[in-house]
Amino acid sequence: MASRLPFTDSDAADEAVRATCDDASSCKRFATSKGYWSDPYIQYFVRQAGERKAPEINRGYYARVQGMSHLLEAFIRRTEGNCQVVNLGAGLDTNFWRLKDGNLLPKKYFEVDFPMIVARKIHNIKTKPPLSKSLIETHSTDSLMMDGHSLDSDRFCIVAADLRDVLDMEDKLKKFQLDPGLPTLFLSECVMVYMTPEQSSRLVRWASDTFHTAMFINYEQVNMADRFGQVMIENLQRRQCTLAGADTCQSLDSQKERFLNAGWESADALDMMTVYGLLPQEDVARIERLEFLDEKELLQQLLQHYCISWAFKDKLRLGLSQVAF
Amino acid sequence: MISIRVEYGSAKMAEEERIANAEKLKEKANTHFKEKDYENAIKYYTEALELNSSNAIYYSNRSLAYLRTECYGYALADATRALEIDKNYIKGYYRRATSNMALGKFKAALKDYETVVRVRPNDKDAKMKYQECNKIVKQKAFERAIASDELKRSVVDSLDIENMTIEDEYTGPKLEDGKVTVKFMKDLMQWFKDQKKLHRKCAYQILIQVKDILSKLPSLVEICLKETEKITICGDTHGQYYDLLNIFELNGLPSETNPYLFNGDFVDRGSFSVEVILTLFGFKLLFPDHFHLLRGNHETDNMNQMYGFEGEVKAKYTAQMFQLFSEVFQWLPLAQCINSKVLVMHGGLFSEDGVTLDDLRKIDRNRQPPDSGLCFLLWHKNGRSISKRGVSCQFGPDVTEHFLKQNKLQYIVRSHEVKAEGYEVTHSGKCITVFSAPNYCDQMGNKGAYIHLRGSDLKPEFHQFTAVPHPNVKPMAYANSLLQLGMM
Repeated sequence: MASRLPFTDSDAADEAVRATCDDASSCKRFATSKGYWSDPYIQYFVRQAGERKAPEINRGYYARVQGMSHLLEAFIRRTEGNCQVVNLGAGLDTNFWRLKDGNLLPKKYFEVDFPMIVARKIHNIKTKPPLSKSLIETHSTDSLMMDGHSLDSDRFCIVAADLRDVLDMEDKLKKFQLDPGLPTLFLSECVMVYMTPEQSSRLVRWASDTFHTAMFINYEQVNMADRFGQVMIENLQRRQCTLAGADTCQSLDSQKERFLNAGWESADALDMMTVYGLLPQEDVARIERLEFLDEKELLQQLLQHYCISWAFKDKLRLGLSQVAF
Repeated sequence: MISIRVEYGSAKMAEEERIANAEKLKEKANTHFKEKDYENAIKYYTEALELNSSNAIYYSNRSLAYLRTECYGYALADATRALEIDKNYIKGYYRRATSNMALGKFKAALKDYETVVRVRPNDKDAKMKYQECNKIVKQKAFERAIASDELKRSVVDSLDIENMTIEDEYTGPKLEDGKVTVKFMKDLMQWFKDQKKLHRKCAYQILIQVKDILSKLPSLVEICLKETEKITICGDTHGQYYDLLNIFELNGLPSETNPYLFNGDFVDRGSFSVEVILTLFGFKLLFPDHFHLLRGNHETDNMNQMYGFEGEVKAKYTAQMFQLFSEVFQWLPLAQCINSKVLVMHGGLFSEDGVTLDDLRKIDRNRQPPDSGLCFLLWHKNGRSISKRGVSCQFGPDVTEHFLKQNKLQYIVRSHEVKAEGYEVTHSGKCITVFSAPNYCDQMGNKGAYIHLRGSDLKPEFHQFTAVPHPNVKPMAYANSLLQLGMM
């Protein structure tokens, strides 16, 4: 990062976006400490379970993590592991390690994020044996290729890039053997909402232009035009965090259109309230017993303002339309 | 080929070395444990786990160390992880059972003791622990059934208010001759507005006096509004102090000619709960017959522990002060009847028929709510969903109709649920919900409302208001959701 240049407004905006990585990780850390789901690796990225989060937040993250996992695992199974996963704006995500534990690794798992976040993540991996162990076990030599802004191994790769500079990102990924011929799954969790619709559209279009058999799964806000949405936008503004992509988050339809207008064959979207109802209800009943929620309306509002949208193109006719809820 | 074997070998060697080092760290931890140096024991078990995270014994040992340091949550987590790694590890069940016992989760503990007894039928210690735990589970069930109260010693007995001194440096409001006055309240509200702390002696004085007057009230308070009199009924305020000040701004300060009834849930979620409750208690002392407070489901230990009030009191004052708050909350009346026509309570009505006002009068309320009776008054939800968890469930228009008829009432007023417009009228006007925390949790964007009731016609008149800004307070150690921005 250039340290001599003045800290501009856009630097501040990017800094605010990077801070959301900590929000997400600390919320996930807290929820796992309470037993909402199991993640033995998050503790190596987020030391303390930290401040208590409200029960509706924990349930919301539960729905998010379970929902995304469901689609991710369905894709890997359908392609029988003969695929790639690219996590855009991965942050301190632990998917790779958990997929490995579950014997569900794709051919290669890629992560992309800002240089500062990637540097942190690489440092954690380097210094925590439980993390590096999984990488070494899936690597053909016992030394990994890493420097301050990239890490490469046979099955796992982290690359520092700006998602708004699609060609640069593509360059870096291709250097680490990203294969446009393999069925590929793109993930983005609360990432595109921080870019303008033009910037995210370029990203989404690049994916469909470059890969003939692929899926894109996106988790972020939706139904932002109502009071709750407006309050969320105002609250974030006060933290210098701008939802530059809020327009695309108007409705489930606008979330679908962003894919259909960018060359994807088919698109679908569900709000998290619906997803919550489609998750295995026995486990939902279990987590609802973990903490008593005093006001269900809070959870409902929260869940109705987030969605998972997904799109696919299926030249190889793998039946990707079956990867759904 | 050979080079590959060498590489594999050196990877294997590094692995074995790591495992060996982990064992060494475990031994070190064990030594510290034997010397009762639990902090260091935990430290070294943790380091051992960093080198070898799939060792059930390390988790189990660390669980025991956590138990010794009273970190029961962590102890439970470690015991659970040990069992996830090795579900045949008997010690793991023991540890988990002990953790659950400490956490008061006796049924869960019983399950694990059962497992141990099944696998080791000749283990006397396991059998004994199982029987002990079983006894406790049965006893708790019995206690719940007879719903009687055990005498607890009050915090008041161990306080020496007279000899508590207020330092010269304290420039805040003080009671005048040990009493709350109009001047004191005005100074107090400004003091709180400026985010300053009331001296703990004054807080204790207020709490002790409020406990005294509340304990003399019946569980069902009955008031009479004359033709020319009116009352303002407010719903949940949930620690939103600046919105409370706004209510007083819009509707006037409480007085003998401007009476108020606050319908529960004064604390939790909002991060200014201490300021809200001390202000409300202050006015209760100043105008005991014209300022009314009813208990909400958040005036209970379980809620305060989870939703921030306990943490806030501990941070601003002490755990002992929270204990006293808890005792005072237990004395809050549960319902209020106005002119024998309008009944106000926080949650709602019962699910069973045949409840009378006399039944409400007779409720023994000086306790934490059990799973029935008293609970419905605090917890009942109006409308659609039935919760599978515990006590919250619905009451429909037929229940309302029947109850009103039987008790010769016109309608009920309750709170407890956030409403976009701050209030809601349902059951053909027979059930009103009023909620006075606007933009609840800084997220919902809802309006707040309060009700004007005149003695002349008892027809509810609704007034809505929106949220006002508040200081950007850092979240407390035990949460408030105010700075939760969503799921980013």
